[in-house]
Amino acid sequence: MKSRKSIVAVSLLAAATMGMAQEQADKEVVTIPKEQYQKLLDEHRMLVEEMKEMKAFKAKFEESRAKALTQQADTDQALDQLTKDTRDAKALAKEALPGTSKLLLTGYGTAGFNSQERGGDRKFYATFNPLLVWKLSDKLLFEGEFEAQLEGGGTSLALEMAQLSYVANDYVTIGAGKFLNPMNYFVERQHMAWVNKLPDKPLAVYDGLLPETQVGMQVRGGVPVGSTKFGYALYAANASALNVDTGTFAPEELGTTTFDNFDNVGRHIAVGGRIGFLPFPELEVGYGFQFSDVAPPQNGDTVNAFLQSVDLSYVRDSATLKGVVNFKAQWAWSHIGGFVYDPGAAIGGPFVFDNSRSGGYVQVAYRPSRVEGPVLKNFEPVFRYDMLNQAKTPTGVDETRYTLGLNYWLGPMSVVKAAYVFDQQNGPNADRRNTVELQFATGF
Amino acid sequence: MNRKIKLSAAIAALALAGAGSILVGCSTPGGKGAAATPKSALVERGGAELWAENCGHCHNSRSLDSLSDAQWEVAAMHMRVRANLTAQEHDKILAFLKSAN
Repeated sequence: MKSRKSIVAVSLLAAATMGMAQEQADKEVVTIPKEQYQKLLDEHRMLVEEMKEMKAFKAKFEESRAKALTQQADTDQALDQLTKDTRDAKALAKEALPGTSKLLLTGYGTAGFNSQERGGDRKFYATFNPLLVWKLSDKLLFEGEFEAQLEGGGTSLALEMAQLSYVANDYVTIGAGKFLNPMNYFVERQHMAWVNKLPDKPLAVYDGLLPETQVGMQVRGGVPVGSTKFGYALYAANASALNVDTGTFAPEELGTTTFDNFDNVGRHIAVGGRIGFLPFPELEVGYGFQFSDVAPPQNGDTVNAFLQSVDLSYVRDSATLKGVVNFKAQWAWSHIGGFVYDPGAAIGGPFVFDNSRSGGYVQVAYRPSRVEGPVLKNFEPVFRYDMLNQAKTPTGVDETRYTLGLNYWLGPMSVVKAAYVFDQQNGPNADRRNTVELQFATGF
Repeated sequence: MNRKIKLSAAIAALALAGAGSILVGCSTPGGKGAAATPKSALVERGGAELWAENCGHCHNSRSLDSLSDAQWEVAAMHMRVRANLTAQEHDKILAFLKSAN
């Protein structure tokens, strides 16, 4: 116990001694010679002077840097202005070119050659379809199209389209005039020669069971619904005229209708439309219909005419297939109510029947547009199957065709087409005429 | 048969007319409603995609420099009517065509 107390006392004494020694060292004065002191003082003054000079230099540097930045900003602004002025000047130059206001001259033309077997046609031909599109305002659009083609010894000129459209709102456009038949997908979207994949047009849907144009009014538009989209059209137009005159029409044409009924013989109005659905961008399916009463020009007897059409379009640009697959299909039905044809027995009648016909086409085309090389990517093989079924009538003919085609694209809107058509017909006036078809078509 | 056809046609016409009426009723007047158009995966695509998809459905696309900006305006409105483009699709495609021209 005694020894423990002694150790604590010694430790405290040692600590006190060390603290006093440190205090003594802090208060110690260092004495240096005067020359050395003067030297240190001079060095200190020199350092202060150098510091002042450096500060001045730094200030000047900052000033010139700021000036340079300002000049750079001015230069950038001037360059931006120059770019904008150049763009405006280019736009002005473009606007000054003829036809670059709100008027667009577009359309298409063809030149071709057909050779049919068994004494059929063998001839060169040419067509020209100028289309004038005039944007009258952000809501008003006029479209006018002529179709000029060689016929007999002269040139026929037809008014293909003359429509004024008013964009009522985001989803509704109202049109009036002569317009492409909205219920017929092929006519409205595919019949243009530089768009159509083959030199000729499919049976039934063109120059067959469905009208190509309408004279009347339509309401149409597109509506997004969730991740899908609908397109619709609803119209009222002049009805067709019923073909009954055995002196004017061939036997197989009895019970068909003349669509170009511009005088509206019979004074009937047709109502029709189409609704299209795009579940995803590459696919569109549609249903079209038209209903009207129809009458022959000579008398007031009336029967009803009901036309229907379903269509499908699938276009896919596939990396796996190294190109674009284009699949199109459309099927049409035409029903004309019962009527007594050739009551005077001029061609062996009377024939009493209601005329139910159908027909359409399936077509697939493939263009290897992703293949390397300047030539192969421009080729496009095409296959089409089309048919017209009207043998249920006493005078009708069934026709089935298989067409193999090969296109070569000279540009986005110019194509050379070659095709061979295998033709089969059945019925009282049946014939079989395989055909070689060549065509150059261009859009502009 | 006639009754059946008339009935089918009447139903189809009424369905389309009804759809049209609904569309007129719920759409924005003045056609300025690109922002008011319902959101859709289809129309949320960029102008370049919409241009490729909508044009490619029917035909090859023109070269971008084949028309001036003013001509593209006319062509876009022409296609809006013909191909049932929505207002938003039309606006986006036109903006793309002008920017790429």
